[in-house]
Order: sequence, then structure tokens, then C-alpha cells
Amino acid sequence: MRFLISSLLWATLISCTSYPKKKGFTPTSPTADHSANPYFSDQTKDYVYKANIKAFNRSFGGIFIVKKVGANHHRIVFTTELGNKIFDFTFKEDLFEVNHVAKELNRKPLLKILKNDFRVLVTETALMEKSFTGNETILNQARVGKQKHFYFNNKVGLQKIIKVKNEKGKVEFIFSEISDDFAKHIQILHQNLDLDITLKAI
Amino acid sequence: MIHRKQYNTLKIGIILILLLLFGIHTALSQVPMTTSEADALKEKVKALSRTTKTISSDFVQYKHLDFLSNDIESKGKLVFKTPDKIRWEYVSPFAYVVIFKDESLYINDNGNKSSMDMGSNAIFKQLNQLITASIKGNLFEASEFKATYLKIKEKSEVHFEPTDPQFREFIKSFQIIFNDTGEVQEVKMIEPSEDYTQIVFDNRTTNQTISDAVFDQ
Repeated sequence: MRFLISSLLWATLISCTSYPKKKGFTPTSPTADHSANPYFSDQTKDYVYKANIKAFNRSFGGIFIVKKVGANHHRIVFTTELGNKIFDFTFKEDLFEVNHVAKELNRKPLLKILKNDFRVLVTETALMEKSFTGNETILNQARVGKQKHFYFNNKVGLQKIIKVKNEKGKVEFIFSEISDDFAKHIQILHQNLDLDITLKAI
Repeated sequence: MIHRKQYNTLKIGIILILLLLFGIHTALSQVPMTTSEADALKEKVKALSRTTKTISSDFVQYKHLDFLSNDIESKGKLVFKTPDKIRWEYVSPFAYVVIFKDESLYINDNGNKSSMDMGSNAIFKQLNQLITASIKGNLFEASEFKATYLKIKEKSEVHFEPTDPQFREFIKSFQIIFNDTGEVQEVKMIEPSEDYTQIVFDNRTTNQTISDAVFDQ
């Protein structure tokens, strides 16, 4: 009985430990007010990726397009390789608009997941709450919408964003092959959901 | 001596006349066909279609989205064999093959293979018929479309508007340009939003022997 109580106590303590502490980061003074994501911030650029989406034991591809059309204003469109539009979303400030969505995907829970994921991609500056350091990485805690997110920055730039709930990572955004504020390879991985999106610049 | 204000007015006038002339020229370059001209085109395309057993061609696809600075360009190869086998392959800037045969659709997405039974999906079935008919240029008899026939110099352009409301949700108009021999040269699919996909064919060869193995996934 004593063992059970101490185990439960131990498990509770671990789950309450802050995400940065769990990952071996220590608090530091923030160097800015905002945490930045520069990867879709150039209005002159068309961001075009070949996408692979693995969802619910199915895998399908398409072309994923992001365009900054104004300040805090982006369009995100997904088409098949043959050009048929699957979805077309507008993000403007806090507004989210569905310009088009294929009937098969027109489900509120799915649209909410896509809205939350893509909002993280196109949010250029998120209000910073705390900063941490460790492993040659600066970890910034910031809010996208109401959700807590951690931005991992190293010498190269922004490497990763992790959406955290109850001090546990829920969605990982991994940026790689980075040059000149452009990430050629992006992964969006869901921890509690069978949905992974891989984007390769074309 | 012309006064500066008069000079500006003259300049604007010349520009307007040029624009008007250009506009008239554009309007003149695309004129409706007479019934007999449309019938002659249909007959030419049908006759060509009857003798076409295989087609292979390169293509360039332009995806136009109004908000983009540039169209998204992809290149590939098409192989067709009667009655309805199609291999549609993108080679750049990505590798992707879609094969239509025996009521099924087979996809090879850079090594990831999958397939789909088109018989169970009315839209895919219709899309397959549309692709087959547009490659062969044989859409004229399809009751699912309302056709408009236009002339542009020695070329012919036919606009097909779907009559099925479900189909109209994703294609507003399907436009095909035929060259003077009745071959399909260009296909443009216009969405209700006016964004479009344009496919331009090049290096077309017909009736060469094509093995069935070409249509293996």
C-alpha cells in the first residue's frame, strides 16, 4: 500500500513537472517580446511543397501551397497532383475562412485540427511568456491562440515548435534543410492522433 | 506647336485607340463557329479518333491560382492505349504516376503505391471518361456537357460546361484547343473560382506499338 501511494505521488509529480524542465532546460531571461517563425513571411515568394499525408492508416499526396498575401494574412491551398483543389483556407489576423473544401473532408473536427496546425505555420510572431536554455538551444514559451507552444531555436534558426497541453507535447512542427528563412522540409507530427504531414519544397 | 496639355490628351487618345484596336483584334481572333464548321470539326476529330489506337505525348501543366506570383509548373508524359488505358506521369519537379485501367486507378507516389476502385466512385468514373474523351477529343457526344465552338485562326477551341450540378461544383468549364489536324493541343479546366489547370501537349506520336506493361503500376 505504501509503495502504491509513493508510486502514485511520484507519477503525479512527474506529470506536473514543467515541459522545459522535463527536457532538461533551465530558465533564462527572454531576449525579445515575441518568438518568431520566419518560414512563410516573404510576400514575394510562392511557397510550394509536395505533401504526403498519413492519416488513419491511409497515405495520400498532393501539392501544398502557402502564400503570404498581406500583413498577418495568408492563403493555404492543397491540391491533388493533377490540380484539383482539396482545400483552400484564408488566415487573416484571428479570422479563419474556408474558401473551398472537398466534400469528403468537410468535417468540423478535421477542419479544426487543420486550422490549429496551419495557424502555427503562418503565425510569424507569437507573444513570448518565458525563455529557457539548454543543449545550445533557446526554448521560448509563447501562445498561438490560447495554446501554449514551445519554439526551439539554435544557431541555424527555428528548428521546432511543439504544442504543449498539460505539460505534454501534443503536436510537433519540425523544420529542416533551412536556408535564408526558408525551410525546405517540414513535418507536422501528432502525438495523440494518427495524422502526420510531410512537406518537401519543389 | 502643340500645347503640353493638348499633347497629353493626344497621347491618352492614341493609347485608347491602340487598346481599342487590340481589344477588337482579340475579340476577332476568337469567333463562334457556324453549325457547319462545328459539324466539320466534330467529324474531323471523330475520324481521327477512330484511327487512333495509341498516343504518347509530353505535357506541361500550369496550375494557376489567382493569389500566386507564378503558375506552378510541372512536366510529364502521357501514354494512352485504346480502349481506355492511360498512364499519366509527372517527371518534374516530382515523381508521380497515375494509371487508369480496368475501372481502377493506380497511384505510384515516388515509390508509395496505392489503388482505388473507380467503379464505386461516380466522380472518379466521370473524371476518367472526361480524361479519355479529352485526350481523344471525343467529348462531343457526352450529354453531361454543353459545348460552345470557337475559331482562333487555324485552331479550334471548344468549351464544355458540365450540366451535372455535382460536377459543376469543381469544374466550371473544360476548354480544349484542337490543332488544324484535329489533335488535342491544350486542355484547360476552369474552377468555379476562376483558378485553372492548363495542360499543354507536345511531341505527340500516335499509333506506335505500346506494350501493356507500360500500364503496370
